[in-house]
Amino acid sequence: MPRSARYAVGRGIEYLSVLALALVINFVLPRALPGGPLKTLGGGENVGVLSTEDQQRILAEYGLDKSLGEQFLTYLANLLTLDLGKSFADGQPVLDVIVEALPWTMLLVGSSIVLTFLIGVTLGAFGGLRRKQGKGSGLLASALLFDSIPSFWLGMVLIAVFGAFLGLLPTFGVGEGWDDPAGLPRHLLLPVATLTLTGLGQFFLVTRSSMLAVLSSDHIEHARARGVPRARLVRKHALRTALLPVHTVLMIEVGFLVGGALVVETVFAYPGLGRVTFNAIQARDFPLMQATFLVLTVAVVVMNAVADATYALIDPRIRTGAAS
Amino acid sequence: MTTPDPSPDPPPSGTGLRQLLGPAGLVGAGIFSVLLIMALVGPLLVSNNGISPVADPWAEPRPGLWLGGDDVGKDLFAQLIVGTRASLFVGVAVALVVTAFAALIGGAAAVGPRWLNAVLMRLADVVLTLPTLPLLIVAAAFLGRGVGIRIALLAVLAWAGPARIIRAGVMSAWSSAHLEVARAMGANAWHLLVRHASYVVGPLLIPVFVRAAMGAVIADASLSFLGLGDPTVPSWGTSLFWASTNGAFLTDAWARWPLPPGLAITVTVIALGLIGVAVEERINPVLRKVR
Amino acid sequence: MLEIDDLYTGYAAGLAAVRGVDLRVDRGEVLALVGESGSGKSTVAKVVLGLLPDGGWATGSARFDGTELVGRPESGWRSLRGNRIGAIPQGAMGGLSPVHRIEAQLVEAVRLHTTASRPAATARARELVRLVHLDTSVLRAYPHQLSGGMRQRVAIALALAGEPALVVADEPTTGLDLITQERVLDLLVELRSTQDIALLVISHDLPALLRRADRVAVMYAGKVVELRSADVIRNECVHPYTKGLLAASASVEPDAEWSAIPGSAPPLDTDLRGCRFAPRCPVAVDACHDSEPVLVQLGTGLSACHRSGDGLAPGFPSVPRCGPAQEAANQLVRVSDLRVTFRSRRRTTHALRGVDLSVARGEIVGLVGESGSGKTTMGRVLLGLQAPTSGQAEIDGVEITTLRGRRLRATQRRVGFVHQDPYASLHPGMNVRALIAEPLKLGAVPRDQWNERSASALSAAGLPTDEEFLRRLPARLSGGQRQRVAIARALVADPILLIADEATSMLDVSTRAGIATTLRRLATERQLAVLFITHDLGEAMHACDRLVVLRQGEVVDTGPPARIVTEPEHTYTAELVEAGRRRTL
Repeated sequence: MPRSARYAVGRGIEYLSVLALALVINFVLPRALPGGPLKTLGGGENVGVLSTEDQQRILAEYGLDKSLGEQFLTYLANLLTLDLGKSFADGQPVLDVIVEALPWTMLLVGSSIVLTFLIGVTLGAFGGLRRKQGKGSGLLASALLFDSIPSFWLGMVLIAVFGAFLGLLPTFGVGEGWDDPAGLPRHLLLPVATLTLTGLGQFFLVTRSSMLAVLSSDHIEHARARGVPRARLVRKHALRTALLPVHTVLMIEVGFLVGGALVVETVFAYPGLGRVTFNAIQARDFPLMQATFLVLTVAVVVMNAVADATYALIDPRIRTGAAS
Repeated sequence: MTTPDPSPDPPPSGTGLRQLLGPAGLVGAGIFSVLLIMALVGPLLVSNNGISPVADPWAEPRPGLWLGGDDVGKDLFAQLIVGTRASLFVGVAVALVVTAFAALIGGAAAVGPRWLNAVLMRLADVVLTLPTLPLLIVAAAFLGRGVGIRIALLAVLAWAGPARIIRAGVMSAWSSAHLEVARAMGANAWHLLVRHASYVVGPLLIPVFVRAAMGAVIADASLSFLGLGDPTVPSWGTSLFWASTNGAFLTDAWARWPLPPGLAITVTVIALGLIGVAVEERINPVLRKVR
Repeated sequence: MLEIDDLYTGYAAGLAAVRGVDLRVDRGEVLALVGESGSGKSTVAKVVLGLLPDGGWATGSARFDGTELVGRPESGWRSLRGNRIGAIPQGAMGGLSPVHRIEAQLVEAVRLHTTASRPAATARARELVRLVHLDTSVLRAYPHQLSGGMRQRVAIALALAGEPALVVADEPTTGLDLITQERVLDLLVELRSTQDIALLVISHDLPALLRRADRVAVMYAGKVVELRSADVIRNECVHPYTKGLLAASASVEPDAEWSAIPGSAPPLDTDLRGCRFAPRCPVAVDACHDSEPVLVQLGTGLSACHRSGDGLAPGFPSVPRCGPAQEAANQLVRVSDLRVTFRSRRRTTHALRGVDLSVARGEIVGLVGESGSGKTTMGRVLLGLQAPTSGQAEIDGVEITTLRGRRLRATQRRVGFVHQDPYASLHPGMNVRALIAEPLKLGAVPRDQWNERSASALSAAGLPTDEEFLRRLPARLSGGQRQRVAIARALVADPILLIADEATSMLDVSTRAGIATTLRRLATERQLAVLFITHDLGEAMHACDRLVVLRQGEVVDTGPPARIVTEPEHTYTAELVEAGRRRTL
């Protein structure tokens, strides 16, 4: 199947370019600044008070006195050996901080994506059906509402309602963490709900309009004319075709949810990459910020690749090479 | 040729814009206009700019201090009103830049040579895959907190999706029969663009603009909320940042401190969303061809 | 078996698309329901299948084997639709599920309507595919991998899956090439006898059904105006509309007339007291405008016409015959050894493989071919829209294949173009005045001449020139009017060559000959060279002085129409003539 192979290669190149671009951004940004790499890579805000000799010493220590080409190679080599540098704040290796935080973010983002997809697509399909009958504007309005709320603010509101006033749910952190698996869901409930609710809108809107288009397309009308009952029509014929454009959204949504997770984690003091990022911003801890960006880029690319692989499963025209 | 065209008739009923928006879109446009007016004249309506303390810390609301004070006694109501300008400005500015970028890039990809199309669309796919907010955070952290830089960053990360939509629109216009007939008449590219393609692509610019503004308002608020905003200029996101750092939503002050700016953001984005959804429903056939 | 009595139905409250129709389809019978767009024929099919859209309404009665169909709730259709009444919906070949294999779609249909187990249903699917004369290898294919004709056969197989007693086929040949159309219709008639089903065939193509149907019902503006045995309708029809419709279908016989019915069908909301056809009828009298005639027995069938007893032969204007042969010295267009090759990464398509063509001033040359023959590509090369791979194309001594930019545009302005789709080729936001003036603006014609030249082009195209008409947007024009506006636009800049690409194909049958008549007059009066691109050999026969038959990018036959029809040089031409001739019986 040359077409699908070419497609796969094309996407592969694309993902590699994304990674390359992220690497370059990461390398260039700290070096391109007026403050110079000394401030951003050499130890934080207090470099101004150092003597010239000390500055030279630090530059040499970080290899910043070499040519840019050499620096880039060193940078790549360090990445390959997973050496992401040390945090300014406490001197801890960045990798350790990331490795500790990443599973938490994956748990949060992973469960939110699954929920967002399932709920968003179901409601969207339903909304499309209702719209076909001239109803369903209530659903549309709520989708628009949740699409418009900033996720961190929704998190605050949920904390105020369920934590502060009702006292039903914990409002921050993850309690005992992995040591108390039974307590985790209670801690996860509010952050996951926040992310899911704010992510629903896109899935809903796209599924809905795609469903509407499919429902009025020829092959559905004709299946109906051939006597296919309505429930089967929706389940077997409409939904699968309607899911095709949703796939594109899934890709974009992955990136969106990862970003959303950053702010939501901050609100809920959740021990993932988002809080690491927030703390890094507060402390001007540049190596840590860069590392989270890089790790999240890799995560998004991987998730996109997975979504891509599943696309061919639902659209035979990709697999077998459509004429048009 | 300076002679004006014989102008075409207006669409059958109502003005073009009203017909394009529909009732929901008109509501959205109405709300957005009110917000715009508030951004323009708002600072004149409040007695202070919300930057320096005017009351006791955590002061309770009273006449003249409608939402009370924050942790150092700054006027929260003044912050809300004055913040409208900063928040909307970023949204509108980013949307303008993104729409212009998208029109140029999408248009060039649609009618330009094949290699240009390939390069631009690959680039768009790459930008679409980059995780926006993390990148924004890193870039904003390095490049500083100026509003110009923030607008540039948001625009650079947001053009890709809109460019694809415009490209699809221009391509659909370019293959339309009336454009082909005009080309066979010996019309030059300028005439084709102004007279024929604009008819299809023009309405597309509204949802593109609106979507870009929605994204920018939220992304800008998120950056401010993470402490990457400009602390000297009141904005809704900055108010929320301070509310969050002070844990205001766990105190009695939740209804007067974190609630209003969040609501303001939500209302702004909903107003834009209403316009966008209304226009999209009317021009859906073009949008559906994006993939 | 199917009995329709006094059926009124419509899509919006108060607007009836069907106004009092009575029809019967007997067991094993083929009834052809014929009419043009807006006649209500498809609406009748929708009632019989229970597929009226939301907001649609129906009164009266339609009984299938004694079961009332009108007013039946959706749940009540399960045992009928697809089961007892099979459907081949309009555009059925585009209506297969794009994401399921043919086998899965057939098996689903079989299992929906029978109690067959999965293996039994799979076996039945193979049987169905053979029944419609397809190879069983299509079972593994997806629809996008099949040709239009094959997909249409699959759609027919799907309709047969429930072993229905009645099959409703709505325009079953639309979008297919002539030869394929004939084969699909043959298949339907064959299935009628082998599968013991009755057929209700809805079509705008009266001649195609004459040889295949048992009875023909002709609809006009929501009513049946004539109902008669198919084998006698050509000679014994009474209603002027039926006569007009027969005369409006171009036959390949050289001595037959090709006529148009003037005007166009009334919109649904017109308030006419009398016969709806009266405004277009050449033999209408006062009574026709005052009261609407009812369907009465006349001869061997039924007709609804006040003048039916008078034995009148209504005269419809027909296309004038071709002029004297043009001398070679007058050649305007010379194309030699033209090749166009499209290369994509997947495949190389040879659209034109060395085509020679010439058109003289005042001559109409017909370029005949089915879809994919390269005829449209030929037109696009002459219009400067497509650069050829090799070869020459000369218009009035100017070699256009090498022209670029300003000089190309200058030549393009001397060539008029009528696009096949009158609905898409007019800018929907420009009124008639602006549309006609566009070529003048592009040609930098001084503004003070615009009005005069527009008016002359409009009259030449057979259109009014009053202010009200000039201010109309395309949405308020009929299909025929739109195509005439397109012709006027092509004429206004005084072209030397007119290229009409399938200019009649999307118009109602009754108005097609009118367009051809206009082209003929222009060729004669203005000494205009016309390239008439068409898939319809019959139309080309009557409209053109000389024919060029194109097949897969090559000219297979060329010469005067009469010669081509009587002594075709190529087997393909012979096949085309044969397919066309079968309709005239």
